[in-house]
Amino acid sequence: MKYILRVIGIVLMVEGSLILSCLIPALHFADGTWPAVTASGLFTFNVGLFLLVTFRKARTLADRRMAFLLVVLLWVALALFGTLPFLATGTVRTFTDALFESMSGVTSTGATILPAVGHLPSSVLLWRSMTQWFGGFGIVLLVLAIVPSLGINKYSLYTAEASGADNTGKQAASMASTLRQTLGVYILLTAVFVIVLWKSGMHIWDAVNLTFTNISSGGFSIYNDSLESLTALQQYVIAFAMLLSGVNFALLYNVLTFHWERLRHKVEQLLFYLVLTGLAILFVVFSLRWQMGYTWGESIRCGVVQTISLITTTGSLATDTSPWWVPITFLGVLLSLCGGMAGSTTGGLKTMRVLILVRNVRKILRDRLHPHAVNPVRLNGQPVAEHIAGNVIVIFLVYVAVVMMGIVLLMLSGINATESIGATIACITGYGPGLASSGGFGCYAAFTPAAKWICSFLMLMGRLECMTVLVLLLPSFWRRA
Amino acid sequence: MLLIYLSIGMLLPVAISLYAADGAQFSLAASAMIILTVGLLLRNILGRHAEYDIRERESIWMTVIIWLVVPLCGTLPYLFSGINTFSDALFESFSGFTTTGSSVLVHPEDLPAGLLVYRSMTQWVGGLGLLLFVVATLRKLGISAGSLYNAEFSGTQQRKLHPRLARSVSRMWRVYIIITLAMIVLLLVQGASLVDSVALAFSTVSTGGFVTRSTGVAHLGTGVMVVIVVFMFLSGINVALLYRFFTLRWRRPVPLWRDEELRVYLSVFLVSVAACAVSFLSEGNDYRQALPYSVFHIASTMSTTGFYLPSLPRPALLVSVLTFVLIVVGASAGSTGGGLKLRRIIILAKYIANYFTRMMHPNAVFRVKVNGEVVDDGYIRKVFAFVFLYIAFIVAGAFVLTLCGTSIPESVCMAAANVSNLGPSPLINNLGGSLDYALLPVAGKLTLVILMLAGRLEIFALVAVFSPSYWRK
Repeated sequence: MKYILRVIGIVLMVEGSLILSCLIPALHFADGTWPAVTASGLFTFNVGLFLLVTFRKARTLADRRMAFLLVVLLWVALALFGTLPFLATGTVRTFTDALFESMSGVTSTGATILPAVGHLPSSVLLWRSMTQWFGGFGIVLLVLAIVPSLGINKYSLYTAEASGADNTGKQAASMASTLRQTLGVYILLTAVFVIVLWKSGMHIWDAVNLTFTNISSGGFSIYNDSLESLTALQQYVIAFAMLLSGVNFALLYNVLTFHWERLRHKVEQLLFYLVLTGLAILFVVFSLRWQMGYTWGESIRCGVVQTISLITTTGSLATDTSPWWVPITFLGVLLSLCGGMAGSTTGGLKTMRVLILVRNVRKILRDRLHPHAVNPVRLNGQPVAEHIAGNVIVIFLVYVAVVMMGIVLLMLSGINATESIGATIACITGYGPGLASSGGFGCYAAFTPAAKWICSFLMLMGRLECMTVLVLLLPSFWRRA
Repeated sequence: MLLIYLSIGMLLPVAISLYAADGAQFSLAASAMIILTVGLLLRNILGRHAEYDIRERESIWMTVIIWLVVPLCGTLPYLFSGINTFSDALFESFSGFTTTGSSVLVHPEDLPAGLLVYRSMTQWVGGLGLLLFVVATLRKLGISAGSLYNAEFSGTQQRKLHPRLARSVSRMWRVYIIITLAMIVLLLVQGASLVDSVALAFSTVSTGGFVTRSTGVAHLGTGVMVVIVVFMFLSGINVALLYRFFTLRWRRPVPLWRDEELRVYLSVFLVSVAACAVSFLSEGNDYRQALPYSVFHIASTMSTTGFYLPSLPRPALLVSVLTFVLIVVGASAGSTGGGLKLRRIIILAKYIANYFTRMMHPNAVFRVKVNGEVVDDGYIRKVFAFVFLYIAFIVAGAFVLTLCGTSIPESVCMAAANVSNLGPSPLINNLGGSLDYALLPVAGKLTLVILMLAGRLEIFALVAVFSPSYWRK
């Protein structure tokens, strides 16, 4: 427990510093929020410092189970302290709303309770974007570095990747270098896209914010109409940023360092991701053209941007999607459930799991027809170990169960069926905008407080892949801890 | 392989001609004659060369062909009398044979009585046929592996049809027929008309759910209701258990009251009834209406029969949600009901529970046990594959339905209700959709037909025929 508090202390200090960095726009644009921002930043930083100093001697986890607690508490603490700038500046009135917004940020979901964001003080806008940026990075870090180092890989919690079927963890000898590589790629990508967007005629302030929210597959915007008012070129640039955010970061590192031969370890996931995106784009573009009567230019732009936004669970919008043809919406829901590659910033089930699931079913069909043949489930030419396939099965079933539960709870809290389905899937996958009133350019402001809490919890569940959170809810977890 | 044609030749027309003299004589007799002729022709032309060596591929093929040809022939009586378009007749016929009970007929009482009985009879044949084919053909493919039935069936792991298997099938026939007869008699005793009793008994025992009036079963008296509830409940139970119950073999091999699936079935039933009743009462309904309604509704939903009563004055959202969940879960394995089946749910739930324990104690070893028998991992993966395909079918079906212009919740409900062979359930309407099948376009009806068929064949057979590896040598 002490070690957990120490780690949380370190992370809170980082968060405090990030809040303080929001002083730059606050002072530059002189919107009068600097006292509030300074106060919340310093408070967060000092709480972190206090925890770190108090528990500086704790070096290891007392119990392996505590790893789950650590991961969950870390995200909860981030979200809790992330509410401070919203509350202190008075942009969000109630704690429920602030927590929703903050949770949506640190889980890089992108669901918002703010009907319009255009008039908000710049420091708050930057803070929203920034929560997504470090939330998105945090999850990559968690999967690539922290989880293996805590020994959770033995439990093979986070996909096959952390459990050795895939050699993401092994390519860098140590956790430190994995961390460096990932951080390097992330920062490099951010910088490149900021510059490209800036050069394409955007104000540097807008470029920074939009890059932060899209490279992390978050989806907050600083405009009321998300991406619609941008030029077509800028939208395509952002779509490309989103597309990259759905690719495994270790893979991007390999590409950037010209280690092409390492690509083959993930080539099937990558192909699946790209082909699925391509097919979905085709469907959306043609249905926009023929069913919705968009012009060709419009349908291609909206189709490309929106489909990528869906499969990477970003949630940036090329236009108001709420009046779109129902099948497109349905396809969107399915795409966001699938999600991008494991080890990226996206949510959803992840392409690797979907591949393993589908192949598992295919294997069983083949077994039935040819009972004497040996049909292992293969991924990238390597047979997938039985227990990993088993884990994927469990994660899938739990995911489905949690989605069902979420829909039921939301309906019981007074939300209608369409909206419940939309909100649950948008929150658990991290897409953001739901269906009907919470979809498109709408927001979650009309939800009851209970519904907002459920949504916040779903975001946390989705980001931490359900199992981590659920295991804490079991009584046996707390027995003789 | 050619055995199919034999059974088509024998099964259908005999049964149909039995009822031909009942109302719409001409059309039924005519279609019976046609079907009989076709069947005899097929038998005589092809049956002479029939090989009796049935392997997996052939039996899958046979199952699918039978389930396509029989309902296709079954459209004839509809076409001769009453229903005009072919797609409607097809929908009605498939809905019958798959024991779904979805209907495009808004006012079934306008139909001649003979046709109504025929309609319910297709369900009865379907319910029996399903058991027959699950046991006789699918079983040895491992689809419902040895552990699915208890001792008397588990000795039959042979790859070819075996006298013993034939005997077990005939036992199920007997149980099925006895239950049906008992129900007809009880309904008659309670004062229902002959047509009503026969039709309702057929559609209850098979968990089909075709009704004879547009008001459902509400016009019948309390006594009839009680009989229907009891038999709906019974038809959701594994037939093998019922057989043991009636033959007084209560203790062997596992005492009946210890059977896990039966226990879960009972407790889910009781809990759902309680939840349903409480939520109706909390909405302010009269308890004299709410209690019977809850019992009836849950029995109808769990067994995937699909009978319904007129809605209570104040609907409760929780009930609708519960209904949806129960539809997907379905009845016991080895019963005539549809859905995922409780046994599979039990296995998966135990598997997931083990997984959580393993997260905390990584070196522990656990096995999933049902009724004290260890379920091996291969079987669990089969169960999972089934669940996955089931969900995939619901999702894909719902997607196609949205192409036909229905809303998302509506499509999902329709797809789920038809894959699980439930059919109509007005309570789902609270979830945002009306299950009015008559208004669907032709493409939508065809989608639902495929879903019903997939649900009835437990998906694998249908998927197998369409998978490339099936056709590979």
